[in-house]
Amino acid sequence: MSTVALLADAAARTGQGAASPADFMAARQQMAFTLGFHIVLASIGIGLPALTLLAEWRSLRTGDSVKAAVYAELARRWMKAAGVLFAVGAVSGTVLSFEMGTLWPGFMDKYGQVFGAAFALEGIAFFIEAIFMGIYLYGWDRLSPRAHFLTGVPVVVAGLLSASFVLTVNSWMNQPRGFRLVDGKVTDVDPLAAMFNPATPVQAVHLILASLMVCGFIVASVYAVGLLRDRRAGRDDRYNRLGFAIPFSLGAVCAPLQVIVGDWAVRFVADNQPAKFAAMEGVEHTQAGQPFRFAVFEIPNALSLMLKFDAHATLRGMDSVPVGDRPPAEVVKTSFEIMIALGMVLLALAAWWALAWWLRRRGRALDLPWKPWFLRAAALTGVMAAVAMEAGWTTTEVGRQPWIVYGVMRTEEAVNPSPGLRYGLYIVLAVYAVLTAATISVLRRMRHTPEPAVPPASPSSTEPAAEANVESVR
Amino acid sequence: MSYADAALGLILLGLSVYLLFGGADFGAGLWHLVSRRREDKDVIEHAMGPLWEANHVWLIFVMVMTWTAFPPIFADVMSAHWVPLSLAALGIVARGSTFVFSKADPDQRWYPWVFGVSSVLTPYCLGAVATVVATGGSSWLSLAGLYGGVLTTALCAYLAAVYLIWDARRLADVWSSMRFRGYALLSGAAVGLFALPGAAALGVRSPLILLSAAAGALSLVLLVRRAYLSVRVTGALAVVAVLWGAAEMAGLDLDAAAAQDAVLQVVFVALGVGGLILVPSLAWLYVLFQRDTARTP
Repeated sequence: MSTVALLADAAARTGQGAASPADFMAARQQMAFTLGFHIVLASIGIGLPALTLLAEWRSLRTGDSVKAAVYAELARRWMKAAGVLFAVGAVSGTVLSFEMGTLWPGFMDKYGQVFGAAFALEGIAFFIEAIFMGIYLYGWDRLSPRAHFLTGVPVVVAGLLSASFVLTVNSWMNQPRGFRLVDGKVTDVDPLAAMFNPATPVQAVHLILASLMVCGFIVASVYAVGLLRDRRAGRDDRYNRLGFAIPFSLGAVCAPLQVIVGDWAVRFVADNQPAKFAAMEGVEHTQAGQPFRFAVFEIPNALSLMLKFDAHATLRGMDSVPVGDRPPAEVVKTSFEIMIALGMVLLALAAWWALAWWLRRRGRALDLPWKPWFLRAAALTGVMAAVAMEAGWTTTEVGRQPWIVYGVMRTEEAVNPSPGLRYGLYIVLAVYAVLTAATISVLRRMRHTPEPAVPPASPSSTEPAAEANVESVR
Repeated sequence: MSYADAALGLILLGLSVYLLFGGADFGAGLWHLVSRRREDKDVIEHAMGPLWEANHVWLIFVMVMTWTAFPPIFADVMSAHWVPLSLAALGIVARGSTFVFSKADPDQRWYPWVFGVSSVLTPYCLGAVATVVATGGSSWLSLAGLYGGVLTTALCAYLAAVYLIWDARRLADVWSSMRFRGYALLSGAAVGLFALPGAAALGVRSPLILLSAAAGALSLVLLVRRAYLSVRVTGALAVVAVLWGAAEMAGLDLDAAAAQDAVLQVVFVALGVGGLILVPSLAWLYVLFQRDTARTP
């Protein structure tokens, strides 16, 4: 690694005209902002089809025809929302591929061929996802219920695959593999080794769980608000209850798994990116028996104990990293702590949900899952999960700085040297603000289209309930 | 044929398909902006595809192929022309989102307007950059850039009008299709008169000009004789020949910029396997989309 880093340093010193510090920061902020926007949409793009399929599966399997109609209606509404969000996600993803070149030409010029194949695979998976989403939406009344359900499966699988392929590129930026640098030139490219770099498994699993949590909790939040409204109006709406239960349960199942995977991720970073780890945990000095610091608390020796199962193990601190190679520690530590804290709140709410259902099943406390305090907390889980995801993503991205490719290429070497990048940032911010407002307004309007009428029980009534909505899907 | 040649062929193919289908979508947006009749707008909206702007897939394909197969060329073009390309990207955002928004929320009046304006802005910017790259110019604000932007937008409008005649006959009434025929005749004649002197002024010396001019002239004849399906083919040929001529003119040094064979091998295998899945599923979607009546239970 060190010879490679030296070469990169030499290249940086002799490099071409550089962007001004203001433009450089603007490029980083624009990338962070547009990617942060896209991440939320992409999460919903992965999660919402999965929720739709869960609801449709329940609708096909349940013997209760009223319930089946409610499930079918939920499935239709979710996929319709998924269609709109998919369209916005597709264009916000297109912006990112432009920005790869307009903001980071140095990165693309030198390393585009190393990780490019992953994007080709991602593009194919994305196209498959788009096609089957179309088949699923159009096929609702044109295919048998069973065949229709099966056409939804490729949407979910391709969504997971395309997210994973994109993520291999970010993993590669953290753990670059699959090439050699000879006199500053990239040779011996092995695209598969680049794709399956050591950081890929942990990052992919961490991101997929996070996206399922974000989507599950965001959708659950919407229905939690609906349930609170019902309660004030003295209504009891099965539609809102089932609409809450499915996505919240998905988030609740992922929350404990995410804690385990998060632990794996921290250990991986500690072993492979000591500067990022030192920044996350606020470790300034290399020493034996590191204390664990969280916010204002400090527990002696705990960090060494947790990480190495040895209270006196030596852990590297920021002072082991050359000054020029250190990430901005405060940002990394704060965002890491925000992620952990929100993750713990979500875990606690998930545990309460599981307990309430267990008690309810045993015939006690039938109203337990629908307590107002819980619904109020649940209404905030969508925001919490999204903030946790952005914070986690900030941790890994800012923690990698000052490198765009860890140990090999500095972010400054990659940026477009053209003047005026900051004006691009301002315009992008304005356009995305309008886009966000419009997306929310459209989704709210879709929600306010006539409340679903639960049809009278009839044995074959899985479809009529939502017939009226089919037209608007087209 | 080297791997780099094959990659270039795929990129040109992707660009051609993007121009012929995505370009027609842009042009349809332009007609949507200028046409005053509800039934014409309905035809345009229906013809533009189901869910989202699927034709941008071709643009993404071209970009990914270029940065994988010819990374330095991608980096040079994108960084030098970051202003018009960023505008094009934002235009794609505005178009793609207002396209679905106006379907989900038909009462909002400014969605169609933003859709129409961004349908003109985006091909203008992309065409300006393409022309500057092809002629070896420096800026999209140069005369060549201006010319290329207007020409590309006009080509898109022409293509859209040609395609929409048949759609209007299928989806609306004969008057609507006559109006699109009128648009096609007018824009076809205008774009031909605009393209030929421009090509001469830019110093294009390629037999592809003759091909484009011949196909364009034949299209006008076919339009007059109301051969609406054949004119789709000749109209498309007239437009795509302009792109090929520009590509020929660009004369980029590809061998020096090409990625290593190991990279391109993986990409080709991925595309082959992907194609085996994509083609049949796309065909299925198309069949479902064409089937107008819902399954009766």
